[in-house]
Amino acid sequence: MPSATANARDAAFARFRATPSGREKPGRYWKIDLETYEPSNLPEAQPAGAVEIEAPQGRFVACDLHVAMRDHAAALDRAMGRAIRPEHKWAALAQAFTHLGAFIHLPADVNVDEPIVVRYDVPDGSAVFPYTIVLAERGARATIVECFDGGENASICGIAEIVTEESADVTYAAAQMLPASTEIFFTRAALPGRNARVHWACADLGGRLAVGDLAVTIAEPGVEARIASVFFPGEKQHVDIRTTVDHRTGDSASETLVKSAATGDGQGRYLGNILIEAHAQRSNASLRDDALLLSKRAHIDSVPALEIAANDVKAFHGATVGALDDDAIFYMTSRGIEREAAQRMIALGFFEPVIDRFPTEALRDELRDALAQKVG
Amino acid sequence: MSDQGLRIAGLHCSVDGNEILKGIDLVVEPGKVHALMGPNGSGKSTLAFSLTGHPKYDVTAGTATLDGEDILALPADKRARAGLFLSFQYPAAIPGVKVPNFLYAARQAVRPGELTPSKFRAALLQSMDTLGMDPSFLGRYLNDGFSGGEKKRLEMLQLAVLAPKYAILDETDSGLDVDALKDVGESVKALRASEEGKNTGFLIITHYPRILQHIDADVVHVMMDGRIVKTGGPDLANRIEREGYDVIREETRSLA
Repeated sequence: MPSATANARDAAFARFRATPSGREKPGRYWKIDLETYEPSNLPEAQPAGAVEIEAPQGRFVACDLHVAMRDHAAALDRAMGRAIRPEHKWAALAQAFTHLGAFIHLPADVNVDEPIVVRYDVPDGSAVFPYTIVLAERGARATIVECFDGGENASICGIAEIVTEESADVTYAAAQMLPASTEIFFTRAALPGRNARVHWACADLGGRLAVGDLAVTIAEPGVEARIASVFFPGEKQHVDIRTTVDHRTGDSASETLVKSAATGDGQGRYLGNILIEAHAQRSNASLRDDALLLSKRAHIDSVPALEIAANDVKAFHGATVGALDDDAIFYMTSRGIEREAAQRMIALGFFEPVIDRFPTEALRDELRDALAQKVG
Repeated sequence: MSDQGLRIAGLHCSVDGNEILKGIDLVVEPGKVHALMGPNGSGKSTLAFSLTGHPKYDVTAGTATLDGEDILALPADKRARAGLFLSFQYPAAIPGVKVPNFLYAARQAVRPGELTPSKFRAALLQSMDTLGMDPSFLGRYLNDGFSGGEKKRLEMLQLAVLAPKYAILDETDSGLDVDALKDVGESVKALRASEEGKNTGFLIITHYPRILQHIDADVVHVMMDGRIVKTGGPDLANRIEREGYDVIREETRSLA
């Protein structure tokens, strides 16, 4: 077990309870208080679930976390917990109960062309605490795809963590389309090395409650960090996503792209943090976040938060919240396309820039299908 | 047959409670080209939008039939399926929707099942060639980041692909350079020479007569203040070129 002792586990759980969520209180639309909320299957639930790793042949490690602790402890130690930030409340909870996971270790200059797939099987009614850790050494390159199967009435609280050395290149895609009865809390944090590239592509389409923290801490120059997120609360769903890019060192670039939609009485919240610290000169950060409301009762609260302490930077942010464009609908219907079909095409088109960031055509098509279902 | 044509009678239309069209009578016969000219603000685009069914344009009186079918009772998509097409002056940009997917969806809606995807693609590339459009257009999102000229060419491509019974071209010439205008003319000629488009009737809305150097009009109408004040042959366009709208305005005022 990663949390080796009962004491460490108790400490992590205490840290979870003591850490502020960083989220607003419930309001007129959003009804769940994340300050006090605890997953319903805690803490009595028996650890459950399983991990399956599909990786091509190659000179790298992609293994079960238990195996990694036994056989690759030193390498694991170089990555585990290093990208997690003190404000990651749900990571503390995940650390308290972690019982399964995957470790991917890419030695220097190893390039893996096929995606490495980490698949978590979540039994109905279970509580699952998965932890995926990626350590990419100098010049290594790989794409990781994380996915979940099953999980009616389950609780999932997990971590994905990427630590890289110089000039590594890691793309990590996670698309959850879990049942609408499940609750999901996920922390994804990256610490790229000098001149490294880290790309997150995340989709939250399922779950009764889905809470996500996506973070990149830039502590070296020359980094290219990209975060792409799509989320879509429908009937009886709450989705809360926070992204954080922390430019601690200058001469790096980050791009955050978020497309969300809500339908039925779905509720969404997005908080986009961009921090550029005082000595992080010549940072280049952009944040683009668009929300589409597809019903009168749906709501998305979108807050871009830029804190810029350096004076020689480029920072862009743009945000929109709105319904489908009437002129666009008229244009398409004037070509004979039925109104509902036009609305569906426009809504799906809205997501396309983020779908584009997912690494395989199969995954992109799966996302398009899932989004089409939700658009209705 | 007497009910053939795009037949507009006594059409009144208001936008946000203001009456813009004050009784329009106009018949575009199959295969004929009518030009509708007039100064800015005379109501030309309002006529185009009210005929195609824009929800903001409120038809308060009058009739419009397409080969006998009452189109005013139909939503916009059914008017298009009845055979009406509008080339927009300012077409909407729709990010994420690729040009060929949109064109195929539109073609299937208007003429279901007539073309297989491969025949459709071949016809599309042919029409694009006529319009001087690079095949890279097919990889782009609908009007997203298009220049004014590119948008107009895409409107003309849609005209070619959909081959409607009646086409309204709303200021298609505005913002086009000479070469683009020539391509638009060629595209309309190609449609009129095709089996699908030989009976297409055109209503070409324009402020300037220059597009009529590339498309021969059978009839020219002049619109002012929500009414058609003068109808004549191609010479009328030449007169407007020489004398401007003010002379026509004076003439019609003295007749009134």
